[in-house]
Amino acid sequence: MEPGYFLTLSALLFIIGAVGALVRRNVLIVLMSVELMLNAGNLALVTFARSRHDAHAQAFAFIVMAIAAAEAAVGLAIVVGIFRSRRSVNLDELTSMKH
Amino acid sequence: MPTHITAKLTDAAALGSSSTGKVFFIIFAALVVVGALGTIFSRNPINAVMSLVLSFFCLAGVYAMLFAHFLAALQVLVYAGAIMVLFIFVVMVLNRDEVEPYSWKGLIVRGPVLALGLGYFGYRLIRLLLEVRPVHAQDPPAEFGSVAQIGMILFTDYLFVFEAVSVLLMIAVVAAVVVARTHKQELAAEAEADGDPEVEADGRPSVSGGHH
Repeated sequence: MEPGYFLTLSALLFIIGAVGALVRRNVLIVLMSVELMLNAGNLALVTFARSRHDAHAQAFAFIVMAIAAAEAAVGLAIVVGIFRSRRSVNLDELTSMKH
Repeated sequence: MPTHITAKLTDAAALGSSSTGKVFFIIFAALVVVGALGTIFSRNPINAVMSLVLSFFCLAGVYAMLFAHFLAALQVLVYAGAIMVLFIFVVMVLNRDEVEPYSWKGLIVRGPVLALGLGYFGYRLIRLLLEVRPVHAQDPPAEFGSVAQIGMILFTDYLFVFEAVSVLLMIAVVAAVVVARTHKQELAAEAEADGDPEVEADGRPSVSGGHH
């Protein structure tokens, strides 16, 4: 199959993730949208790996997965910490660093 | 990975070049997009997590069609397994109803401009992406994307990166524990470090005068 189809799927996934991160106000859903965007990047890497018969991009996608796991762990810990002090997960209410 | 599973995955990958493969790709791709849309548009965070699991699970199928067998297995284990369990756990801890889940403010006002711009660039992008041709149209060799090949690359070319990632994961685990600690636990830990017997484990100074 042509890599174009896979790249289009990757672009769609990235756009959906970006819209979710911009539009949703629940910090958990925003984190999930970031995971979606990371996966879109991974899909593009794997597509080019197959197209060029070069597995280096797959090793790179593996590392991206590890980074995503670390990001999820720290991000969720911060969310739990914020929720403890503010009783809220709404991004519009978390503006104390703005002023 | 046991050999019979690898053989099954190779069969799935071989589908990638046939017309049956197109049907499989359409099914997987549709489920990936439906899951992603469900993630960003569901009001209940649990539904969002479940949609994301569906999306990542089907993405593993797409990886298998791209001859990335090791990554397909990892996608199910790490993403659909570990990371999503973490998300569900936190959603359960923060059980909150949302009053106003979306914020279209600003986006609505600039809506027409945004839609026009995004539509045009999206159209051009998809036209461009669909024109990408593979460098090698034929199927890659049998060992492509196997654990052995990825492992060989990781432990030779990317050895330093691999070690750096392992240190990063270690830092992330410690950071998660430190950040998610409660205030009481912090006070107790500080008191213990100072050797101060006046502070009880619950963070309050003891009323009995501190002699136990």
